[in-house]
Amino acid sequence: MANRLVINETIAAYANAAIDGANATGGRDAVVEVRNQMRQILGFMATNIDLRLSLDNEAYTAEERQALAGNVFDGYNPVVKELLGVMASRCDAALFRRVVSLYEDLIESKLNFNVVDVTTVVELDDNLRTVITNKAESDLGRDCVLVEHIDPSIQGGIILSTGDRYVDASVRTQFDKARIALKKKDGGEC
Amino acid sequence: MNAHVRNCASGMIAFAAASAAFPVCAFADEGAGINAILPQMEEFIPMLVAFIILWIVLAKFGWPLFEGMLNKREETIKNSLEKSEEARQESERLLAEYREQLEGAKTQAQQILNNAKLTGDALEKEITAKAQAEADAIVDKARAQIEQEKENAIKELQATMADTSIAVASRLIGEDFSDDEHRKLIERYVKEAGSLNG
Repeated sequence: MANRLVINETIAAYANAAIDGANATGGRDAVVEVRNQMRQILGFMATNIDLRLSLDNEAYTAEERQALAGNVFDGYNPVVKELLGVMASRCDAALFRRVVSLYEDLIESKLNFNVVDVTTVVELDDNLRTVITNKAESDLGRDCVLVEHIDPSIQGGIILSTGDRYVDASVRTQFDKARIALKKKDGGEC
Repeated sequence: MNAHVRNCASGMIAFAAASAAFPVCAFADEGAGINAILPQMEEFIPMLVAFIILWIVLAKFGWPLFEGMLNKREETIKNSLEKSEEARQESERLLAEYREQLEGAKTQAQQILNNAKLTGDALEKEITAKAQAEADAIVDKARAQIEQEKENAIKELQATMADTSIAVASRLIGEDFSDDEHRKLIERYVKEAGSLNG
């Protein structure tokens, strides 16, 4: 088993390589795109155990694992494809979650901007983008890039998140709070 | 005793003999007038002799026997009277004793009754207090249960109302809100929302 420091250095190497590669090829947009695609792949790997195990399966050769990653993630940003290919060839796919996490931290610390996930039930218009961007930049004190998500289940309102910071102003959450308050003995306050 | 019997028998025989010797003389010549009731000397003397003999015989043999019987009878009556007196005194003593015992028994019975009454009163109070306490406990428990059920019903009603209200509100927002209204809501929420840095 590898030393913890060695593992951290390995993770840092992967994350730095990815962010540098993305920034070099397409600037902020590429960096954000890579970040979004890596988060999407994390979702896949969380629900697809065969994929996760295959990428780290030592029964295959390094070349076979790299080819597997290249085939599965063909169509993704080349940086993502290359990163996962190298990680698979080195049997480091299990570190991918930590690489993504560090990648997001590097966006803040290295490139000095934040990627803010914005979840709503309708698409944002330019006015809303401006309002939200201004609020995020005001709160965080640096440039922000919005990543928009449509999720009807939140019923309305907005959810903002970046890194481990989170603001839930969705109607669903407001309703949940109202339901809890209404079910209290004294009726509570909505 | 046999001697006395024999003496008596002898007297009786003498009297019978005297009577048998002069019967004709006694009733043979009845005169008229005063002479009819006056004794005839030739009759009177033998009668007197026979009487005296009879009297002597009876005094000698009959009277002591009779006197002995009287004395015995007197003794018997006296003893009976004494025994009766003793019995009477004993009865009075016993009666007094019984009365005393009866009085004591009455006093004791009264005391027992009083004690029983006191005990009964205390027991009655205790039972009443216990029953009252149990009744109060039952009432309190029933009240608490009613209160709890009422509270549960209110909670259930509140929950139902809350769920219904939220469901209605959700449906209204989901169905009736246009995109622009959603955007206005988003803008308001963004302005009112807390800081991302907080």
